[in-house]
Amino acid sequence: MPKILIVDDDQDFVSAVAIVLESAGYQVATAYSRDTGMQIFNQENPDVVVLDVMMQEPDDGFVMAQDLKKIRPEVPILMLTSVGQVTGMDFDKDEDLVPVEVFEQKPIMPGRLLERIRELLNK
Amino acid sequence: MPVIDRTQINEEIKALKAQYGQDRSALLPILQSFQEKYGYLPDIIMQETAHALGIHPVEVEGVASFYSFFRRKEPQGKYVLRLCKTISCDLAGKEKVARQLENELGIKFGETTKDKLFTLEYTNCLGMCDQGPALMVNDRLFAHVTPDKVPQIIADCRRGFIKSEFPKVVPSDVKKEGPILSHNLKAGDGLKSALNLSRSAVINLVRESGLKGRGGAGFPTAVKWQLAGAAQSDKKYVVCNADEGEPGTFKDRYLLYHHTDVMFDGMTIAAYAIGATQGFIYLRGEYLYMKKYLEETIEKRRAANLLGNNILGKEGFNFDIQIRLGAGAYVCGEETALIESLEGYRGEPRNRPPFPVDTGFQKHPTIVNNVETFIDAALICAKGAKWFNEHGTEKSSGTKLFSVSGDCERPGIYELPFGITIAQLLKEVGGENAKAVQIGGASGKCVARQDFDRTIAFEDISSGGSIITFGPDTDMLKVAINFMEFFVEESCGQCTPCRDGNPKLLEGLKLLERGRCSMTYLNELMRLGETIQLASKCGLGQSSPNAFLSILANFKSEILGRVPEKE
Ligand SMILES: Cc1cc2nc3c(=O)[nH]c(=O)nc-3n(C[C@H](O)[C@H](O)[C@H](O)COP(=O)(O)O)c2cc1C
Ligand code: SF4
Repeated sequence: MPKILIVDDDQDFVSAVAIVLESAGYQVATAYSRDTGMQIFNQENPDVVVLDVMMQEPDDGFVMAQDLKKIRPEVPILMLTSVGQVTGMDFDKDEDLVPVEVFEQKPIMPGRLLERIRELLNK
Repeated sequence: MPVIDRTQINEEIKALKAQYGQDRSALLPILQSFQEKYGYLPDIIMQETAHALGIHPVEVEGVASFYSFFRRKEPQGKYVLRLCKTISCDLAGKEKVARQLENELGIKFGETTKDKLFTLEYTNCLGMCDQGPALMVNDRLFAHVTPDKVPQIIADCRRGFIKSEFPKVVPSDVKKEGPILSHNLKAGDGLKSALNLSRSAVINLVRESGLKGRGGAGFPTAVKWQLAGAAQSDKKYVVCNADEGEPGTFKDRYLLYHHTDVMFDGMTIAAYAIGATQGFIYLRGEYLYMKKYLEETIEKRRAANLLGNNILGKEGFNFDIQIRLGAGAYVCGEETALIESLEGYRGEPRNRPPFPVDTGFQKHPTIVNNVETFIDAALICAKGAKWFNEHGTEKSSGTKLFSVSGDCERPGIYELPFGITIAQLLKEVGGENAKAVQIGGASGKCVARQDFDRTIAFEDISSGGSIITFGPDTDMLKVAINFMEFFVEESCGQCTPCRDGNPKLLEGLKLLERGRCSMTYLNELMRLGETIQLASKCGLGQSSPNAFLSILANFKSEILGRVPEKE
């Protein structure tokens, strides 16, 4: 089964997403920061990355997305963020600065999350 | 004074709107222009301006009353003499100069001579702290003013203010250069290097360098740029914070004049990185004399295609810069107040979030950076991240410009690495016998001898660059009073702890001066200080009690043991 890496500093959110993905049959790897996220990405070779924006630094998710694309540009990234709700910020994909395939707002319903992952895997 | 004619006023407003914009953001430049021409803002001008901008006259009145450089009632004199009353000029003997000015002109501070030739005012920091006492006459600055120089200055004004006799820009005293100041770059060098990289690569280079904002708060520059770059909008803005109002800071004045092109390179690089098309320099009103020079430099850069369309041949990269003047309000250095001011409002800080990186000037993504930050960023693009971060500490990379004033042998501008101890810095500037050092200006911290082994760095004692040394004979209570008076005057008045709390702290200090403050009341005031720090909305209120608290903590016995002055 495909492997999904979830990187988010909100540990409860990571566990909840992990349960949803595991019960749909995916293998799951997790990390709570950009640094460990990069390490685990290199060890585990995931097929999709689910990535938060604000972690230790408010732009960690963007930086990590850029770094991931330098290593394996073919791995799709689903960016999940509640930044907009908290701060009023309006972000979206950008080839250079926000190189992700899908940008979604938190909270996200499990059904929608699974659908997005399926779409990314089928691309 | 020219006669005020309604038709002519409207013509002038029309021309100013064409230059500064058709919306409310043209309000300050319009008022500044009329203030300069008529010496005040009579009602008719405010009404016509309001009408032309489609706002209520009360709004214009509200803005005019906020900024100390606007006068609304009687016209000011042809020559406005503003004497700096901030601590460094105070220590350098401003009081004697003040008395001489009053005697010579026969008026008190706050008054205008009968012949309408002179207005005498106090002002806060003029950015001349190493060369005080400082005096500003209209847009001209005078350094090292002594009582015996006063008659000559006034006589020169009386015979028509022959401008050429006054120095255009007061020379800056750079005492120590480091890698930043000795860069040897030409206009456009940093920008060219940046334009060879992708936008994300520019931001990554800045991230690798570890550059943190030089305006005081130390926010990582790359994070700010990345967030603004990722924000979605058809318009984005780059703003250079050249408000430099923190007492004891004067390094931006020097940088703006002597490293102008590198600063413009930095702004232009930022614009490329975040995708901005318009930039502003928010120049403090006290640096008006620099406006023309900066505008000429902008013009030269346009001619060299360093500004304008398709900059340096980069298809689709369009960016230009305008200068906007402050009008004598320290709080406008706070970035959200600065943006309010640019938009033509009173300089009142905003609630955050939303942050300027997403909701800044006219609700568009905006980055605000200090003059020195832009210079560092341009040099990092030209010389690399490693060149920059081989100096300083792990968390505070690079060197920093310090403005040193007060009781020391060699006041001036110093470039020193972050992580330097206070004792090392004092040795450098010839201030070893200081009994205390104020680090970070009025909003910073007063550090006494027992802490001179502490370091200046974001992880220890941080500073936007202001260092004021106090010699063994300094009356620390007077210092605390000077700082509190500053905050009472400069609070924007939006929130209660800052607006009403700071006058209470000042009152307490005055009681201490008269030997009339009980220990119980003093302890209550210290608790009030802590409340102001916690409950204020912006950095001004949050830091206003710092000096009060640290001076009282370090010099309690000196202050309480004073012999009260006779009433
Ligand atoms: C009351 C107050 C005054 C300030 N004045 C200045 C100033 O004159 N210049 C400046 O660069 N930053 C000033 N700041 C800090 C700015 O809000 C902001 O943090 C800074 O411009 C960001 O630039 P930087 O990240 O490059 O330092 C001030 C902050 C406060 C609270
Ligand atoms: S803390 Fe002071 S300056 Fe800042 S918003 Fe409140 S009243 Fe205004």
